[in-house]
Amino acid sequence: MPKELYIDPHVFKSRNTLSAPGIPIHAYEPNIEAERAAFGNAGLLRLLRDMVVIREFETMVGSLKSKRNYNGVEFNLCGGAHLSIGQEAAAVGAAHSLEPDDHIFGTHRSHGEFIAKGFSAIRKIPPNAVRAIMETHEQGALLRTVEKQLQGTSATETAENFLLLGLLAEIFMRSTGFNRGMGGSMHAFFLPFGVYPNNAIVGASAGIATGAALQKKLARTGGITVANGGDGSAGCGPVWEAMNFAAMAQFDSLWEDAVKGGLPVLFFFSNNFYAQSDQPIGETTGLDRLSRIGLGINPQAMHAETVDGTNPLAVADAVRRKRELLVKGKGPALLDVEWYRSVGHSAYGDSTSYRTKEEVRAWEAHDPILLFSNRLQGAGIVRSDQIDAIRQEVVSRMRSIAAVASDPVLTPPVDIKADPLLIGKLMFSNSEIELPAESAPLLSPLQSVSRVQQDAKKSRYGIAADGTKLSAMRAITVRDALFEAILHHMVHDERLVAYGEDCRDCGSTFGVYRGLAEILPRHRLFDSPISEAAIVATAVGCAMEGGRALIELMFGDFLGRAGDEVFNQLAKWQSMSGGELKLPVVLRCSVGSTYGAQHLQDWTALCAHIPGLKVVYPATPYDAKGLLASALSSNDPVVFFESQRLYETVERFRPEGVPTEYYRIPVGEPDCKRSGGDVTILTIGPSLYAAMAAADELQSTFKISAEVIDARSIVPFDYKPVFASVKKTGRILLVSEAAERGSFLMTLAANITRFCFPHLLSAPRVLGSPNWIIPGSEMETAYLPQANDIIDVITWELFPDKRSNRRGLRNWDDQEVARIGL
Amino acid sequence: MDNHIILPALGNEIEEAEISEWLKAEGDIVKEGEQVVLITTPKVTVELEAPVTGRLTRILVPAGELVRVGAKLGVVES
Repeated sequence: MPKELYIDPHVFKSRNTLSAPGIPIHAYEPNIEAERAAFGNAGLLRLLRDMVVIREFETMVGSLKSKRNYNGVEFNLCGGAHLSIGQEAAAVGAAHSLEPDDHIFGTHRSHGEFIAKGFSAIRKIPPNAVRAIMETHEQGALLRTVEKQLQGTSATETAENFLLLGLLAEIFMRSTGFNRGMGGSMHAFFLPFGVYPNNAIVGASAGIATGAALQKKLARTGGITVANGGDGSAGCGPVWEAMNFAAMAQFDSLWEDAVKGGLPVLFFFSNNFYAQSDQPIGETTGLDRLSRIGLGINPQAMHAETVDGTNPLAVADAVRRKRELLVKGKGPALLDVEWYRSVGHSAYGDSTSYRTKEEVRAWEAHDPILLFSNRLQGAGIVRSDQIDAIRQEVVSRMRSIAAVASDPVLTPPVDIKADPLLIGKLMFSNSEIELPAESAPLLSPLQSVSRVQQDAKKSRYGIAADGTKLSAMRAITVRDALFEAILHHMVHDERLVAYGEDCRDCGSTFGVYRGLAEILPRHRLFDSPISEAAIVATAVGCAMEGGRALIELMFGDFLGRAGDEVFNQLAKWQSMSGGELKLPVVLRCSVGSTYGAQHLQDWTALCAHIPGLKVVYPATPYDAKGLLASALSSNDPVVFFESQRLYETVERFRPEGVPTEYYRIPVGEPDCKRSGGDVTILTIGPSLYAAMAAADELQSTFKISAEVIDARSIVPFDYKPVFASVKKTGRILLVSEAAERGSFLMTLAANITRFCFPHLLSAPRVLGSPNWIIPGSEMETAYLPQANDIIDVITWELFPDKRSNRRGLRNWDDQEVARIGL
Repeated sequence: MDNHIILPALGNEIEEAEISEWLKAEGDIVKEGEQVVLITTPKVTVELEAPVTGRLTRILVPAGELVRVGAKLGVVES
């Protein structure tokens, strides 16, 4: 809690009544003369034509999906295709009022929004720039195809065909698609036209668009972001977290003048009254109108309105007005845009099992294209035969585009046979940034930070001359080492923003950030709400928009609260974008101590199991500083685990101490912490110290010489030093504090068996925590592997001739406990 | 009667802390619960309060020094 915000008991205890603004419902008043004046006849006709293009594009996709044929073009569309037939007015109206540097984030049902925004950008970006954009994509490969096969009658029409073919090729998962075939229908995007990723997880774009808006504010690039979502997403916790994050009062009350004001994000609820088959209004929420959501977020009710999504002019008007508010720093805003999906949830058509034919028929009269066509005809702007001609031209165009997209020569499939690692190589960029030597603007000089002064007095090595261990006040600890890496990056990388719960004024829960608030302005280090999903999703959006984020989840156990955001968003977008997007996000989370079952879990294996995340778990000050520096330099997402029991740990492995200067340790390299010849002990995280104690005892009592290797990183992982050690010793014990079942140690053990089999004198043995809950602190040592447990396993199983009395508690039958589910 | 201001246990792992600043001088009158001295642990800066109302007669550990948990930092005479 910032001290400058005083909680006045007189204010909070006084009798009062909260008031709230009214929520306009269909405030737009159609006036054809005013509309004609604003848009011109040609402009109005263009809106109609864009709607027809979207309708026909969707009809084509639906036909290929369900009939494998569209006007004679044969194609078997295997992937998903969720159609938005009926939504055309909402998409076209919104896009009309958006500028090229406004960025939309979509849903699984966003072909229409994609096309509308792309068309809008093509018309608003100078033609030369459009041409340059098309030349750049895939070295112009897609453009060449368009020019040969789909040349338009104008540069604009050619650019439109480029957009339509790039999208359709992506839906067909072809190599010239906008995501190089790695995204498909539900994940397509094309950044240069402001079309940011569509998203197959309901509501996921809310947090991502919020993070992108945060980065727009931080970088002062201008423009707004639009979080497109369906009415069904109103039931998703992460959507509420995102809206709350976007509406945080600190943007107005605490942030510096240059970045003051709400986030420029528009939550655009495309409300078709059905969440697949459920009805949010009337069945699965308590809301009467979706716009009522705004009342729960802030006193401005997010400037919420319900808008007629069957009228492109009503939507264009509403988006224009909300955009004006957003660019003035009055965000966030919310629109509830109502329309009716006349087809089923997916292209297979399931539209009659959950709604009556009577209802579908009643809405047929409200088809946006029918309504708008009639309106323009009634005003004498267009004749029915001209509308027919538009439709025929569009059908013919779609047939040509479908023919080109389905032709494997013109639009080649992804050639996985030529390079079986092709998709794998897209997981990580494996690139790093260089840091500028100069400092970002700071609130006060670096040397004025009290912690910097205190740490300067500390020994860099944790062992005194007489061999005793120095206390955490006298030597650099893991906590200090992490701080040094973070401090260096925050000072030299102005793009880096750090946030999470309790990160600023209290210096983060475990004190890693203590002192940073003295030099960093609020927009570079701020407290977030207790919203793990929003913390991670906004970091993803921030990175997509060109930022770099350092976020903290406090306890690794809270990863569950951000499951989709970590495992489906952070992990996936680099590869699903075909390598186009980079996600430089470092997610710090600590493995706890003393608080028991919900605060002490090593979940590194969960993160390692999900492709797309780099995973690090250092155990010493030297490794912590160097690996965090690498993580913060990386352009790939890194989940950085820390042990709370090691924050006070001083450096005991390097007599030269933790360097004061900046350095990086490459992610992925295990490190030998103790040489030995009889057995290898490979550890992850704090088990290093149990292994070191065990190694001393094994040597002195049993004359067994143990080599101890600290994994340090989990993904990536270089097996070479481990294999070399095992080939020398012939025996290996793998130790970590993760529950044994499914732990990463099991993967390591399997690969060691596979690759070192001829050299092994006994099977690799895994020692983790048991597969039950972690008890409270009094029983922690009975749960987490201790030195005695390591000695027991090595002497009883790896060197049976060295057996002595068991020291630890683990004397159960692993096969039997597995049989009963433990 | 002499009452000691003592460095309390501030966490499982914390052995020592630094005296950052005395907010009162020797001879000052202090009230029970009033903040008397700022200390810094490896994790946070915290304020210690006077244990009783009285006069701060002696400062036993000056600012800038490290002390172990349980150490006497000063004396308040009640």
